[in-house]
Amino acid sequence: MIQLEGVWKVFSPEPATVMAKLRHDSTASLAAGEVAAVRGVDLTVDRGELLCILGLSGCGKSTLLRMINRLVSPSDGRVRIENEDIATLDPAALRALRARRIGMVFQSHALIEHMTIHENVALPQEILGVSRQRREARAEELLSRLGLGGLGRHGISSLSGGMKQRVGLARALAADPDILLMDEPFSALDPLIRVELQDEFRRLSRDLDKTTVFITHDVAEAFRIADRVAVMRLGKMEQIGTPGELLAAPANEYVARFVGLGQSAFPSKQEP
Amino acid sequence: MSELSSEEGRVRSFMGPGARVYQRVFARMQDESHRGLPFLPLAALLGSFWLGARRIRGWFWLFLTLELISVVLIVLALGGGLDRTEQTRVNTLVQLAERRVNEAAAARVQDPGSKMTASLTRSAQSLEQAAKQAQHKLTETGPRWGLLGLGLIILLTSRIGLGFGAIPLVASQLRHAHINGQLGHTGFSWFAALQAAMIWLLVVPLTFLNFAGFIPENLFDASGIPNLVSDAARVVDGYMRGVSSALSPVAQQVTWIIEGLLDGMEFVLTATPWPVITIVIVALAAQRAGWLLALGVALGLGYLLALGYWVKAMQTVALLGTASMIALVLGIPLGIWCGYSRRTAAIIRPVLDFMQTTPAFVYLIPVIALFGIGKTAGIVATVIFGIAPVIRQTSFGIASVPATVREAALAFGAGRWFMLFKVDLPIARASIMAGVSQTILMSLSMVVIAALIGARGLGEEVLSALQYAAQGKGILAGFAILICAIIIDRIIQSQRRQK
Repeated sequence: MIQLEGVWKVFSPEPATVMAKLRHDSTASLAAGEVAAVRGVDLTVDRGELLCILGLSGCGKSTLLRMINRLVSPSDGRVRIENEDIATLDPAALRALRARRIGMVFQSHALIEHMTIHENVALPQEILGVSRQRREARAEELLSRLGLGGLGRHGISSLSGGMKQRVGLARALAADPDILLMDEPFSALDPLIRVELQDEFRRLSRDLDKTTVFITHDVAEAFRIADRVAVMRLGKMEQIGTPGELLAAPANEYVARFVGLGQSAFPSKQEP
Repeated sequence: MSELSSEEGRVRSFMGPGARVYQRVFARMQDESHRGLPFLPLAALLGSFWLGARRIRGWFWLFLTLELISVVLIVLALGGGLDRTEQTRVNTLVQLAERRVNEAAAARVQDPGSKMTASLTRSAQSLEQAAKQAQHKLTETGPRWGLLGLGLIILLTSRIGLGFGAIPLVASQLRHAHINGQLGHTGFSWFAALQAAMIWLLVVPLTFLNFAGFIPENLFDASGIPNLVSDAARVVDGYMRGVSSALSPVAQQVTWIIEGLLDGMEFVLTATPWPVITIVIVALAAQRAGWLLALGVALGLGYLLALGYWVKAMQTVALLGTASMIALVLGIPLGIWCGYSRRTAAIIRPVLDFMQTTPAFVYLIPVIALFGIGKTAGIVATVIFGIAPVIRQTSFGIASVPATVREAALAFGAGRWFMLFKVDLPIARASIMAGVSQTILMSLSMVVIAALIGARGLGEEVLSALQYAAQGKGILAGFAILICAIIIDRIIQSQRRQK
C-alpha cells in the first residue's frame, strides 16, 4: 500500500521559505523561478490496485510519481510504503527499496545502449548482486513472457519503440517488486502498438498482483486499464474514483470536460 | 491586447527616432510589386555612429576601422605626417652615411690596403647614395593621388554600401530580437548613441591630428615606466624562490616517481632488440587496421632503423608514454569530477584554457624553477601541455550521459560507484578515448621543446639541427617524429573506430 499525505513539491532556489509561505497561505502568489509542482496531494493506492494519474503535461503528475521512490524528495508531507515513512530511510535502505520493491518504466524507455537486452533487463538484479547465471535466467523468463524470447544477447539499438518498451517493462519486473511506477510508458508509441501493450500490461499487472501507479495524459488509456483514476490539475488532485464514478459524477467542470473526451472508450457506461 | 500594444511600444523604442520611416520602408518591402533596394541616406551620412547608436556592434567596429583607414590615407595623401616620418627616416639615413664616411676615412688613414677598409668604403658610398636619393624624393613629392583615391574610394563605397545595407541590417536585427525575445535589449538607444559618439570623437580626431603632424613626437611614449620591469621582476623572483623552496620536497618526490617511470620505460624499449618491437608494432597495426596500414607502419619503422634514429625514437616514445600516462592518470579522474560538478568545471575550465593558450616557453620557466633543467621538467611541461584534452573530453562525455538513463539507474537503486562504472564511464567511453588520443598526440608535439630543457630523444636531433642550421638533418629528424606520430595516431584512432 502506498500512502501520500499532504505532499507538496516546490521548485525554487530557496524551497524552504517558499514552502513556509505556502503553508501559511496555500494560494499565495509565487515569484518567477518558484514553482509549486505538487500542492498538498493526499492519495492512497491499495495493494494490487492499478491507479492511473491523469493530467495534462506540466500538471505535476511525473513529480508526484517520482516522490514515491524518492527520486524527488517532497518539500512537505509524508510518503509511506507499507506504513513505512520513506523519508526516514538511510541511503542504503533507500537504494534497497528502489532495487527490490519498486520497478519503474519511463516514457523515453531509458535503456542503456552499450548493454545487451539481457543486461538491461537484469540491471536491478545486478545492482542487488544476484549471480550472472540467475540474472540471465530471470531475464530470459521475463523476455519470453513479453514475446521477446531468444533476443537477449542482442543490443537494444535494433529494437522498435514497442519492443524497447517491453524490455523496459521486463527490467521493471526483473527483481519482482511489489510496486510498479509507470511514467507515460506508452505515450510515444504508435496507436495500434499502444493499445496492444495496454491490454497486455493490464493482464500482466493483474496476474502478477502488482500495486501500480500509472501516469498518462490520455484519458482513453486511463479508462482502458485503471481500477481507479486520479485527475490532476496544476499540482492538485481534482477527483479520485473509478472510471464509472468519474463519468457519472464528475466533481467539477474540468473533470467533466476531461473525461468527456474518454466517453468513447466506455460507450456503455454513458447510459444510466 | 495590452501585451500586443506593449510589444508594439517595444518595437517602436527598438526603432528609435525615425521609427515611422523604418516602418514605412518595411511595409514597402513587404509589398511584392515594389522592387529595388531602399537607400537610407542617414546611415550613409553618419556611418559608424549610426551603427553604434542602433547597437549593431560588429558592423560598428568594422566601419569605425574603415573610417580610420580612410582618414589616415587622406591625411597622408594631402602631405600630412608622412612627410614628417619620411623626413626623420631620411635624417637618420644621412647621419648614418656621415658616420660611415668618417669611419671609412679613419680606416683609410690607419690601414689603407686592408679588406676591411675597402668594404667600409663601399658601404659608406652606397649609404651616401641612398641618402641622397631619399632626400631628392622627399623634395619632389606633392600630393599623392593614389593614396587620396584609395582613401576616398574606401570611404565612399563603405558609406554607400551602408546606405543600401541599413534597412536589411535593421530588419535582421529586429528578426533576431524577436527570435531571442530580447526586443528591449537591442535596437536604438540614446545611451548607445552617446557611447558611439564618444568613441568616435576620441578615436577619429586623435588619429587625424597624429597623422597630420599636429601632435608632438614624444607625447604618446610607449616605453613604459622606467625601472618598473626590473623592480617587478625582482619581486617575482623572490616569490618564485620562496615557492620553489617550499615545494622542493614535493618536487623531489615527483622527480623520483617520474624518473623511475621514464627510466623503466626507456630501459624496456631500448634494451629490447629492435626486431621484437618491430614485430609487436606491426602486428598491432595489422590487428587494429588491416595489412595495408601494417605495411605503412613497417616502412616507417624501417626509416627510423635505416637512418639510425631507432634509439632516439624509443627514448621519445618513453618520454611520451610517461607523460601521457601521467596526464591520463590525473586527467581522467579530474574530468569525471568536472563532469559531475558544474562548480568544479567552472573552476577548472579557465585553468585549462590558460594551459592550452599559454606558450609552452612561458610555463617552462616556473617548471624549471621547481624541477631544474632535465627530463623531469620536460615531462612535467609535456603533461601540463597535454592534459587539457583528456580532461575536457572526459567531462564532456560524463556530462552528456542522458539524464533519463541516469534517472532510470537511480530508480533501480544504483549507488554512486555503480553509476560511475556501469553507466557513466561506458557511455562516455568514445568521448574519453578521443581525449586520450588527443592528449598523446599533443604530448608528442612537445618533444622538441622538452629537448630544449634536457629531455632525450628525437627532439634533441631537431634541436641541434636548429642550432647549427643543418637543414637537411633537421628535416630528416622532424620526419622521424612525424612517423612516430602517424603510427601512434593510426593505432589509437582505428581502435576507436572499431567500436
